[in-house]
Order: sequence, then structure tokens, then C-alpha cells
Amino acid sequence: MEEQLKIDFEKLLETSNFSKKNVEIKRKNFENFIEKGFPNRREENWKFSDLNQIISKNIKNLSFYNDLSKPNKIDQSIFIDGLEHNKLVFVNGRIEKIEFDYEEKNKIEILDDLVLEKSNNANNSLLFLNNAFVNKYFKLIVKKNYSLKKPLVIYNITNKDLISKSINLKVNISLEENSSLKLIEFFNDRSITNFININYNFDIQKNSILKNYKIDNNSNSNIKYSFSNINQDSNSVSEIFLLSSGSEFIKNEINCNLNGKYASAFVNGVFILDETKHHEIKTNINHLAENTKSYQLIKGVLEDTSKAVYQGKIFVDSKAQKTDGYQLSKAILLNDNTEFNAKPELEIYADDVKCSHGSASGSLNEDSIFYLMSRGLNYQEAKKLLINGFLLDVVEKITDSEIKNLIKNIMSLKQ
Amino acid sequence: MLKIKNLKADIENKSILNNFNLEIKPGEVHAIMGPNGSGKSTLSNILSGKKGYDVSGEILFENKNIFELETEERAHKGIFLAFQYPLEIPGVNTNIFLKTSLNAIRKARGEKELDAIEFLKLVKLKAKELKFDEEKLNRQLNVGFSGGEKKKNEILQMSILNPKLSILDETDSGLDIDALKIVADGVNSLRKKDNSFLIITHYQRLLDYIKPDYVHVLMSGKIIKSGGPELALELEKKGYENFN
Repeated sequence: MEEQLKIDFEKLLETSNFSKKNVEIKRKNFENFIEKGFPNRREENWKFSDLNQIISKNIKNLSFYNDLSKPNKIDQSIFIDGLEHNKLVFVNGRIEKIEFDYEEKNKIEILDDLVLEKSNNANNSLLFLNNAFVNKYFKLIVKKNYSLKKPLVIYNITNKDLISKSINLKVNISLEENSSLKLIEFFNDRSITNFININYNFDIQKNSILKNYKIDNNSNSNIKYSFSNINQDSNSVSEIFLLSSGSEFIKNEINCNLNGKYASAFVNGVFILDETKHHEIKTNINHLAENTKSYQLIKGVLEDTSKAVYQGKIFVDSKAQKTDGYQLSKAILLNDNTEFNAKPELEIYADDVKCSHGSASGSLNEDSIFYLMSRGLNYQEAKKLLINGFLLDVVEKITDSEIKNLIKNIMSLKQ
Repeated sequence: MLKIKNLKADIENKSILNNFNLEIKPGEVHAIMGPNGSGKSTLSNILSGKKGYDVSGEILFENKNIFELETEERAHKGIFLAFQYPLEIPGVNTNIFLKTSLNAIRKARGEKELDAIEFLKLVKLKAKELKFDEEKLNRQLNVGFSGGEKKKNEILQMSILNPKLSILDETDSGLDIDALKIVADGVNSLRKKDNSFLIITHYQRLLDYIKPDYVHVLMSGKIIKSGGPELALELEKKGYENFN
């Protein structure tokens, strides 16, 4: 693979117009990636999901160069219906549309010719890979005191022309003081066995609110890694909801730094997996200031031989007195061959804190099924009602009612 | 309506019911009384089709052997079990559940399914009759309900589904006198010439409010004595131990 990587990297530099500074940064990142390679189970963070093995098992002849010179057609039928929204559309890793029709133009800014920032996650080889190979990367700035009128949907579309490629995307979003953004990340994959590596950086300043909904619902054979780094200033709120269901493999990693007093973070997610799918949610919530709060609720329903992993870490700095941290994960295993791994971690250096965690997994309650069947529902209907009820609990945490309904529709939870 | 002949039921090689016989005709109310462990709950579970029992013998409901029917098919045919311990179903709205259940049964019977408005009208009426707090119907099924509310919810379901044969498995346990009266009134209002009831209970108390036509004493898996309502009083006086 190393030979291929070198050839593809040189080809990328030849065919693109990167600034001298960026080429320099890219070379450094490339070398770092070559040295470390894809993460494997020997790293604590990857012990339940050996990415190196997953990639070599699922992707034949992975190539890292992706020709972005020609535009791709956008299949408009993929767009979310019944929800007015702004759009950022990527097709096969190439930006094809930027549309903010609903917003005041001077209240948002989009930059795309940026110098790569030095990554402070020095151990994450996938960020090295991302920095080395990402083409254009985008920065969206929401100006002080502005709330986007409509949600922004980032479409991540791949079509059947894309086979066995490594795609790297990077988006930075900055919410200036007193601003807010609802961001839906929507995957639609018709491509085959690619590795998609996405990096978001959020900077949420004082009193600002980010609501981020990530929807991976269409069954596909791609392997994905999504890393979100979130920095929050005082009184800011981040709300994340993950629908983790479609891809063969996806690891959503969230690193959230609660840097300012009274900042709060909510991470809720559901796994709905079948066949051989293997998904992971990994969180690091770092309480770094007083009176910060975090809440995490993750639920999974696993069928066939699927596997889900939740590694949730709450870190409380000695300065972060009066921290309130909570995490709970639950899974229903519909089959003996499914697997749910939960690894809660609390690392606490302050003495006046409230932190709790819990995890439970088990099969569907047969007595509950009998109860529902005795009221005229057949086995499948009873099972569906119980599963929907189990998952609905998480979806109800979504605070935006329009998007909550959208997600209920996508999950067929509409009652 | 219901004929049980030579019913034998084992669970994990332990005999629970043995040589059990019972016949219930349309419009009749039968009470089965028995001590703990006599097989009362097993009987109601088997009538509703719960899995996990080895059964032999015959149970005919309207002349059809119900061993061939799944639990939901028995419900479609008009068998209803009011559970001794109604289950809490998190995330499932009570109203939605009731509507799904009613429409599943109506559909199986070839009747028109009710739309949301028709359903709400019906459920409001029934809830009022049973003095069931309507607001609770918008909550998750039985979640956070008191014992009494759960039992009332069973009777509410019964009155909405309007079954031919209702089996009440210790519906009186855990009820205070006021709730007991409301539950009994609910049952009595459903008594019609073609609706039958099988009331399973420890105590004679419930039978003060729901007058049975027949009382049976169940001990060690079979009926040892049958009679009229006076049998319940006799039982109450003597206790199960001295009854033989």
C-alpha cells in the first residue's frame, strides 16, 4: 500500500494548485501517515474496531488519488423533501453546490482557499491522512448575533462511479458570539467499497448554539470515519444526534472541549444495524471549566451478525468544579451472534462534581411481545412496536421539532 | 363457547395442570378460585397461547381447537386476557397502542378500521365510563402507572376490544375498594348474552361485585369442586387447606 500511497500523493500535488505553504504542510502530514499507517487494535481507541483489518478485508486495491477535474451530476431526487434548507453538496468528494438562498449574505462567510491548520490531535493518523489528501477545504463563518433562518444540509453523495477510493473531506465551522446553526449531515451512498474520511472542526463562541444531526441511513458497502472536534466557549450549547445505520463500517468520533463556564454538550445516538455492519461511536467530553454539563444517550438495535461499539469518556479537569456529566448506553440484541461493546470511562480531577454512567444490553423481552400479541398484534408488529419504542426515547431528545419529525420519518418511527 | 377437555400442561417436566375440564357457555361468568401455585395463571397463559408449556388435551373455542392458533389469532377470534401483571412498554404511546390493537382485531374480523377521530371518540367514552384519567392515555403504555391504574387500563382495553371471552387473571389483586368497584362495574357493563367471562382470583371479595354463575375450586392442577356462588363463601370461611 505504501508504494501506491506515494504515487497517488505525488499525482495529487502535480495536478492541484496548492500553495507552497500547504504543500509543505501536506508533505509533513503525509510522512506522518506513512509512519503510523491506518490505526489497528493495538491502539486503545481502536481496540474494538481494527480499521487496518477492516479496510484490508473490505477494500481491494484502495487508491488515494481521486480525479476532481470534472464536475459530477447531482441527483436532485436525493434532496430532503418538505424541509426548506441551505445546501452544501459533495459528490464523490468534489464540492458541486454551495447554496445559502435563505440567508442574509453578509451574515455568513465561506472561505475555501485556506492554509491547513496544524492539527492538535497529534496521535490521530487519520487526520494526517486527511490533511495530506484533502483537496479544497471549507470554512463557514456565522457572524456575531446571526442565527441561520433555515438548517444547512451537507450532502455527502457518492455514486456508482466511485470504487475503492479514499475520499478526504474537511469542513471548519465557526459560530461567532450569539449565533446559531442547525446542521444536518446527510449521506447517500451508491458507491462501492470506498474509505471516506471526514473531519469537522467546530468553534462555538460565547452564547452560541450548534445543533448537528448526522444521518447515515442508506445501506452501503463503504467504510467511514468521521472526526468532529468541537471547542465551546462559555454558555454555548452543542447538540449532536447520530443515526448510525447505513454503512458497512462507520466510526463517529467526537472530541468536545467545554472550555468556557456553563457550556453544555449533548450527544445522543442510535445504532440500527444488520448483516455484517460494524459501527462505533467514540466520544471524549472534556470538562475544562466550572459548571459545564454533558449528557450522552446511545441506544442500539442489532440484528444478524452486526456489531456496535460505544466508547464514551468524560474527563473532568481539576478546574471544572460543579461539572454535571451523564452517559447511558443500551442495546437490544436480536440475535446471539450480535455484539455490543460499551466502554464507559470517567476521569475526574475535581471534587465537587456529579457524574454517572451506565450500560445494559439484552434480548427483546418475550413477555412484552406476548402482551402485545395478546392484543391482536402479530409477532413482527409487536417486535417493531417494542423496538421503535426503545429507539424513540433517543429521538425525542432532539430539540428541533421539524428535524425531529424528519428523522422520525427517515427511521419510520412516525406513529 | 369454550370447552376444555383433559387439559394437561407441563413446564420443564413439572406437571402444572392435569386432567383439567371446563365448559363455559355464551353469557356465563365462571370464577376459578385456588391457592398459590394451583395452576391459575398457567391456565390463563395457555388460553392466550403463551409459549413454553408442553400441553395436551383439547381446548375448543367456538368449536375450533385453539392449539392451532397463534396468540394474536386467538385475540382476533375474541379471547382477551387481562394480565395479572400488565407490562410496561417504554416508548409506546398508550393511545397509539390501543388503536393499533383495535384495528388489528377489526381488520382480522373483516371490519372497517377506525380512523384517528373515530378512535378517539370511542376511547374517550370508555375512559370516562371507567373513570380512567384521559391524560394517561397520552403517556407511554403502563410506564409510571400505579398498580391500580395498570389494572384499570386492562379493563379499558377489554371494553374497547369488546371480546367474546374475557379472562381476568387476578385483576382484583392490588386494588383498593374504590378501584375494585370501578373495575367490577366495567366488567358488569360488558356482560351480555354472548359475552363470557373467566375470573381467576384468590379471594371471594371480587365476587361480591361480579356475581358469577359458577365457581370452581382449582387445586394441584385440577378442578376439585364446582358449584354456585355459595361455594366461594364456603371457601372463604374454611380456607383452601381445610377444603378437601
